[in-house]
Amino acid sequence: MSIPGYSYKFDHKHLLSIEDLSRLDIEHILDLSEEFAEATRAGRRPDPHLKDMTVINLFFENSTRTMSSFEIAARRLGADVVAMPIAQSSVKKGETLIDTAMTLNAMSPDAIVIRHSASGGVKLLSRKVDCAVINAGDGTHQHPTQGLLDTLTIRRTKGRVEGLKVTICGDILHSRVARSTTLALHLLGAEVTLCGPATLLPSGTEHWGAARTTHNFDDAIEGADVVMMLRLQMERMNGAYLPSQREYFRNFGLTRERLARAASDATVMHPGPMNRGIEIESAIADGDRSVITQQVEMGVAVREAVLKLLAGRRL
Amino acid sequence: MSRSLITNARLLCPASGRDETGSLLIEDGKIAAIGDIAGEADTLIDASGLCLAPGLVDLRVKTGEPGGEQRETLETASRAAVSGGVTSMVVMPDTEPVIDDVALVQFITNRGRETSKTRIYPAGALTIGLEGQAMSEISLMQGSGAVFFTNGDWPVGDTSVLRRTMAYAASCNVMVSSRADTYALSARGVMNAGARAARMGLSGLPREAEWIGLSRDLFLAEATGCRLLVDQVSTARSLEIIREARDRGVEVYVSVAAHHLFFNETDVGDYLTYCKVNPPFRNEDDRQALIDALAAGEIDAVVSAHDPQPPEEKRLPFGEAAFGAAGLETVLSALLVLVQDERLNLLDALRPVTASPASLIGVPQGRLAEGLPADLILFDPDKPWHCERENLLSRSLNSPFDGRRMVGRVMHTIIEGETVFQR
Repeated sequence: MSIPGYSYKFDHKHLLSIEDLSRLDIEHILDLSEEFAEATRAGRRPDPHLKDMTVINLFFENSTRTMSSFEIAARRLGADVVAMPIAQSSVKKGETLIDTAMTLNAMSPDAIVIRHSASGGVKLLSRKVDCAVINAGDGTHQHPTQGLLDTLTIRRTKGRVEGLKVTICGDILHSRVARSTTLALHLLGAEVTLCGPATLLPSGTEHWGAARTTHNFDDAIEGADVVMMLRLQMERMNGAYLPSQREYFRNFGLTRERLARAASDATVMHPGPMNRGIEIESAIADGDRSVITQQVEMGVAVREAVLKLLAGRRL
Repeated sequence: MSRSLITNARLLCPASGRDETGSLLIEDGKIAAIGDIAGEADTLIDASGLCLAPGLVDLRVKTGEPGGEQRETLETASRAAVSGGVTSMVVMPDTEPVIDDVALVQFITNRGRETSKTRIYPAGALTIGLEGQAMSEISLMQGSGAVFFTNGDWPVGDTSVLRRTMAYAASCNVMVSSRADTYALSARGVMNAGARAARMGLSGLPREAEWIGLSRDLFLAEATGCRLLVDQVSTARSLEIIREARDRGVEVYVSVAAHHLFFNETDVGDYLTYCKVNPPFRNEDDRQALIDALAAGEIDAVVSAHDPQPPEEKRLPFGEAAFGAAGLETVLSALLVLVQDERLNLLDALRPVTASPASLIGVPQGRLAEGLPADLILFDPDKPWHCERENLLSRSLNSPFDGRRMVGRVMHTIIEGETVFQR
């Protein structure tokens, strides 16, 4: 740790939620991630911290991006990786879910990375295993490594997090990214504004660290240092939550005109995959303000750091 | 003639207001005398330090019989019941098959008589198969012993079906019980809607669903003249809506589940599925309002809402787990904790679990009076205990009270003069 006079120990067994972390924990993970990111950029291979270890990727929900990011991170550190994508159809009932966890546990892995479609599902599994569990997304609850990689991306591109104005816009209600990133940024002193249509913006977001909420994107983006757009699921736009795609784009899409209201050096982020032309104009996504590919790059670094901290630990 | 004499007890009868130290004589299963009693007895029980009250009458119990015996049978439920001081219970019709005809009502009554330690009263299904479409043979089932009619956990969604059914029920002078809900608002919900559910990423059961459903049910009761028992009210605003209806002269009764007097939504904690019930645990303001209403005498029945669920239905992610909590063994203690906290006096705590529900279903017990069935409990109102689910007697152990420290415990349960439980 960089703070003299303090001894610090990262003493978590699992990474399940940003809610379990302190500011110190987050900064520690980010510092470590930064080292991994630099090593990769310099073309160096990190020390094989996970040599002879086994990491299981247990994904109950389809994912190519997150799963490969975890897999690359684990392999870079020398781990053996077993990928277990399990289609939802084959695991219908939870006793099977717990049975799966207990079966995998009996194989003595050093870490299990889990994504599950039910909020709290990863936590439930973590109670049944001895090794470290890393939450790669549980329902609409948490996706902690996404929160960390977003925060790291902002810290690197802006040089700081404290005092920054960050606007997150889109489907807040169904977003585990919003729940994770908002809290991580808040813990590091950023001022987060959440923006979305009334049907997709729940009450009580101050409990996740949001400074304010608004349904007016033009207000929300005013003077923002960072603008993060969230993916909008197509099925939400058929009249259930929103009248149409074009009405959504009109009110909540990120256009060049809107971006002009943000700070002159504002950066644009998106957790992906993007709906170009619905939540974000292609020109912006590909433009020089966009740090979207850097988010992906930081994703691997953060996962390397988290795996190094947790894999093989038995607290 | 067998005679049992209980002496030195604090006699509590919420119907008459009696609260005094004295004796009670049981002869041939009936209460023979109360007060200062001299004379011989075959059995003598010294109840010094204990309260003697009528056994509890619980208007909402689910077992798994018939069809789900792995969850609970009438027999296992009755064992749990007597250890919690419950001596009469109304069992819900949502079984497999549904209790929607005369033969099934008789089956429940007979099985209850043969296997259960407690008195069992069936509630009849309001609609065939609980499907909410065709009304069941309400009058015939009433004649066979169904004490009221309900669609159980599946309140009738179609308002016109409910209106016709309530009008018909009113003509039979039958009470209808309905949980207030609006499916269109609550269909996917799993816990109280609000900030906490949003943070946890869980879909909410909004309070508006209860208010809208309740208003509908009350207007229909008013229009049809049907006696309505509102099943498990859970919010403060619902109590206001009911007060208004009472002021208009609607004949409406209210039940509250004991766990709603004890828990609020924060008890769901880290996705604890034992705290997943419907109606859900609400806010602390709601819980306080329910306790205040209880103290003010506005609650006609406190029920266990006993709903046994096995581990395979509860050891699931919160969203996928079954609703329901085992409650028979904790209903009295939940009330006695409120007495200990000086929110209620003992008689007010006992009334909604004895005399008041007994009169709602038209049975004589629930009171201490000569000539009535000797269904009695002796309890220690100050005894502390630690609720551990491993020690519960229900076949399913899904109690939200697991791990809680409680005060007040049943020591002795008597049904028809016979001791059926002793701690």
